Amino acid sequence: MNHESSVSGLSGIVLNIQRYCSHDGPGIRTNVFLKGCSLRCKWCGNPESIAFKPELSYDPKKCTGKKACGVCLKAPFPEGAFYVIEGADDTIHVNWDLAGDCDEALASLCPTGALEMFGKRMTVDEVLDEVEKDSSFYRNTGGGMTLSGGECLLQPDFAAALLKGAHDRGLNTAIETACNVPWRFVEQVLPHVDTVLHDHKLTIPERHKKWTGVGNERILANFKKAYETFPDIDFVARTPLIPGINADEEHIRAVLAFIRPHKNVIDYELLPYHRFGLGKYLSLGVVYELDDYKTPSDDLVKHLQAIIDEAFGRTGQDAAGVK
Amino acid sequence: MSKEIGHASFQRRIAIMVGAGHVPGLNAVVMGAAMAAGKLGWEMVGIRDGFDGVLHPERYPDGGLVTLSPQLIENLDPNAAGLLGQAPRVDPFHVRRVNDDEMVEEVDMSDQLLKKLEAEGIDALIAVVGGRGLSILYKLHRKGLNAVCVPRSIENDIAATSVSFGFNSALSFTIEMLDRVRQAAQSARKIGVVEVLGDQAGWLALQAGIAVCADAVLIPEIPCDLQAVAARLQDKVTARRSWGLVVVAEGATFVDDQKAEAKPSSLKASLSPLATGDASDHVIRRSGQAAETVASRLQLAIAEETFPLVLGPWVRGGAPTAVDRQLALAYGAGAVRAIKAGTYGTMVAFVPPDIKFVPLADAINKVRTVPRDSEFIQVARSLGIFLGREL
Repeated sequence: MNHESSVSGLSGIVLNIQRYCSHDGPGIRTNVFLKGCSLRCKWCGNPESIAFKPELSYDPKKCTGKKACGVCLKAPFPEGAFYVIEGADDTIHVNWDLAGDCDEALASLCPTGALEMFGKRMTVDEVLDEVEKDSSFYRNTGGGMTLSGGECLLQPDFAAALLKGAHDRGLNTAIETACNVPWRFVEQVLPHVDTVLHDHKLTIPERHKKWTGVGNERILANFKKAYETFPDIDFVARTPLIPGINADEEHIRAVLAFIRPHKNVIDYELLPYHRFGLGKYLSLGVVYELDDYKTPSDDLVKHLQAIIDEAFGRTGQDAAGVK
Repeated sequence: MSKEIGHASFQRRIAIMVGAGHVPGLNAVVMGAAMAAGKLGWEMVGIRDGFDGVLHPERYPDGGLVTLSPQLIENLDPNAAGLLGQAPRVDPFHVRRVNDDEMVEEVDMSDQLLKKLEAEGIDALIAVVGGRGLSILYKLHRKGLNAVCVPRSIENDIAATSVSFGFNSALSFTIEMLDRVRQAAQSARKIGVVEVLGDQAGWLALQAGIAVCADAVLIPEIPCDLQAVAARLQDKVTARRSWGLVVVAEGATFVDDQKAEAKPSSLKASLSPLATGDASDHVIRRSGQAAETVASRLQLAIAEETFPLVLGPWVRGGAPTAVDRQLALAYGAGAVRAIKAGTYGTMVAFVPPDIKFVPLADAINKVRTVPRDSEFIQVARSLGIFLGREL
């Protein structure tokens, strides 16, 4: 299929394309994760999405070790970037301080696929062709494409082109954003978006700075301006609930006070923090912890959700389920 | 040629910096280096908070460099908290900052670091760093920095030296705490399972376990059969001696569980560079899980009550022992000797009976683990301490 577009050849760094998603916008969706983030949330479970550039990844489960392979222990791989520990087993370890400069060409020399790159450059058409494979699901469910990250607004040219291209192909569009970007990025992208899922991580600026690296003044200003500038877009506020950081009534009520005056903010979703699978397959037979944070209790989530439902005038069966 | 620095005339100006995290004895290294440098007629300055004092001098009203004058050194308490302070991240190749667009990013400031050091008239640097810091200093040395490293490690896992300073202090404190746990276990008639630091090397667990004659010591180097440990404890815990003490290193592995066969570090290794490193915000913390696992499995296996305890990072604080004070002073003075000899890109190492200078390339990417034929293993076995499986 030929889709004429002056920007179809534009490219960006894509971390992953995930099909059959159901929680990030209406219907069945394909999530396109763009690489790069402008926050450093201490609870982040996707550290591979933070850096802009593609970066090396190492999966020890795929590695066959020094005796069976050992390719990465020799040139052209950087000296000292990979090593085995004398007297221990055959396992290859990575010195990330020395291996950080490995590029895709080097990673491709790994015969087992243990070395791969997180993220690759893709053109608008390449992404949209992949997304369009599930058009029938979108048509039947009202779904489409969701841009996520990292922070998808950090690649504004690419994001805008992708979203416009998706609209041109008749697809519903959504983005997931924390909005810590200059307004000009927001202004460039949002005209091509049907739904904006936006994070309210913390209310108090000092706390926001402590846990994410920057204050939230610009973020809140962006949200407010976006609500007012784009009245036809559906906005859905979201909070990743982390006990001890933001899983409290005060924060939820503060977010509600911020969003409720704006009729195009159609919902507020809670995302209870989970230690998403990072360490379930290793360790001492138990689950690793990502930092020291706990998952919020069901009772706490229900209590906070009830506050949201009340604010949105939902009762009984109308009340929203927790995502 | 001498250099005019301030009001004094010095032959050379050298600097010392300290990596992330406290280790008992840091001030003693600074003292040793400053005194040795002073004797040579060199000026020694300390960089505040890792490299921050050089990279971000605007943050310090009194300047990012501390002149380590004889008067200051004479009055420096070797037991006190580190004089130079510490930064949570000491990696000039990935310096986190908020840019003009209020976005957080990591930038490579290694070139600026070298230029600023040169502008300060500093022609050599002593870096007091742990395992990861050695790799960073190796990279900086390859970029032209005249660096000499001093090894610091609570776990004594840095290769090419018999002992890193900080270990002996941690060992002493661990032994003291294990004695207390033993008393608690005796009075409560339970089995205490105490987790100590040791991700890949079990020196702290093994040597402390020997000192208190623990019933079992579980270290990363010897994958442990918990059924065998349970059987051994079953024999030892009787009506007359209804208590037990197990010391487990945080990186202990187990033979009866395929999942546990993989090294704990494999998870870290599988993540992206930003996810790894002790100073990272994305470090997977496993503190307490080894003790919890061993305690719960033993309790199931032998119907004795167990209680897990975690010493973990407690051992990083406190004053240095006599051994660490001597070692730290010797390392500081040794680093100055290395600079005088022009042996840059090296690490000061204690190879009994000598202080030697080993190339950084020989010190990185290695872990000083407990060999199977270690004398400590033999001693433990002679004392009847079970090491997780029959060897």
